[in-house]
Amino acid sequence: MTTFSIGALQVDRSGIPVIRGVDLEAKGGEISVLLGSNGAGKTTFLESLSGIIPVRSGFINLDGVELAKLRPGARAKTGLSHVEQGRTVFPAMTTEENLKVALHPDADLKEAYDLFPELLQRRNVEAGMLSGGEQQMVVIARSIVNRPRVILIDEMSSGLAPVIVSRLMRAVRQLADDGIAVVLVEQFAALALAIGNRAYVLRRGQIVYDGDCAALARDPAHLHRLYLGDAAA
Amino acid sequence: MDSLFTAAVAGLSAGGAYAILGVCAIFTYRLVAVVNFTGAAIGAAGTFAMVALFELGMPLLLAVLFGVAAGALAGLAIGLVMTTWFAGSNASTKAAVTAALLVGIIAVGLRLTGGQHPHYFPEIIPGSAFRLAGVEVTWAAVTTLVLSVAFTLLTEQFLARTRTGLQLRALSQRPMAAELIGIRVRLLALGVWAVTGGVTAFALMIIAPLRSPDFASLSLLVVPALAAALIGAFSSFRAALIGGVMIGLLEGSVSAIGPVSQYRGAVPFLVILAVLLWSQRGARWDEAR
Repeated sequence: MTTFSIGALQVDRSGIPVIRGVDLEAKGGEISVLLGSNGAGKTTFLESLSGIIPVRSGFINLDGVELAKLRPGARAKTGLSHVEQGRTVFPAMTTEENLKVALHPDADLKEAYDLFPELLQRRNVEAGMLSGGEQQMVVIARSIVNRPRVILIDEMSSGLAPVIVSRLMRAVRQLADDGIAVVLVEQFAALALAIGNRAYVLRRGQIVYDGDCAALARDPAHLHRLYLGDAAA
Repeated sequence: MDSLFTAAVAGLSAGGAYAILGVCAIFTYRLVAVVNFTGAAIGAAGTFAMVALFELGMPLLLAVLFGVAAGALAGLAIGLVMTTWFAGSNASTKAAVTAALLVGIIAVGLRLTGGQHPHYFPEIIPGSAFRLAGVEVTWAAVTTLVLSVAFTLLTEQFLARTRTGLQLRALSQRPMAAELIGIRVRLLALGVWAVTGGVTAFALMIIAPLRSPDFASLSLLVVPALAAALIGAFSSFRAALIGGVMIGLLEGSVSAIGPVSQYRGAVPFLVILAVLLWSQRGARWDEAR
């Protein structure tokens, strides 16, 4: 089973420490939900894991392979996939071309269409012309056909209608059930906790909660305090 | 009228070369997001490498092959600079860097090739192909035209139908997203630089005997190249192809008109000015309202 471990991770932006000694573990078949208020460092954390920004210290380990010094492309080859926020489709390429460009030799486009059947009838449409929800489906499906062992998903619900968000959440749960380790950063905490296994709360670059999703979901007041820290008192 | 037609046909070779250079400029812009001012200088490096080897006694065909390889290597070197230190820079910074590199390459190129010291540029495709309305059309003209059309069509098909072409298109649209799905972004970018370097070198070898035989003059063919690319709005290979040929024909025609013939070199500048004014017509109209 896949194990994705991060330990003592420190990341700076413009010389300022943004991530300060974060430990996190994601296992295959589970969704690790990462919550936190705006500016807590969630996106910076994911970008450091996929290699978009460098780490200052700490380790990022995927099934025994150390990733911290690798370029983003090399990390992707080891099985780490990053669904960035902002629906990063290749806009002038069709839906099918968006999938084909990421297609792993052992994968099949059918897997993408099985996950999101609604993309089938839109396969020849340029991705830039799709709706926001469809674009997010394309980006997730593109990630799947790349045959990842770990998927980092950043704010996939941003700007989408609740019915679409629910649809995407079900798909993410299905990915985890298929054995992939998912790290989900999400603004809709309740929805994310409902499908997740393990929850982490990040505040000012540090993990302030590491525990069961269901327990946190049952205690919204606690979650509120974790988000706001001393300010909630 | 006959002399005008003759002069226009004489501009076909240059037109074909401008078309190739223009298509290469769009190729570089679309795929690695760089307005490349060094394009013709890279080709000039390959051309002078060919001349140097030929002067040393190497057979012409072999010298041409080495020259094309030298052009590809020069392109690769510029690509290494751009991908190592300026991959994350914006388009205007990249353009400024290539403009600065152009100045440096010209300075070094002039030094290495003896400045204005005359070199013998062999005609790599000599002879007359056929007569058109009484005017000789050279094999050089036919070759550059065929090469420019073939390069344009091959580029389009390559980008549309191959996996590498698909990856290049992804790279051009979202470099980071492309890298995050495992595309070898740097390798592909370097490939683009090398291919355009080699093709540009070959195009310049064909027309070099018709131009001032010094490194700076060949390097400044970047102006008609960018004019052709501008006609294609840095997006359409076919429009750049047609634009390049038209600039060559126009240059040739102007050379036959006595009072303005000495200003034929200004034709690409006028074309650039006209295209920029035309492209801004909507903004002017909006402002006037």
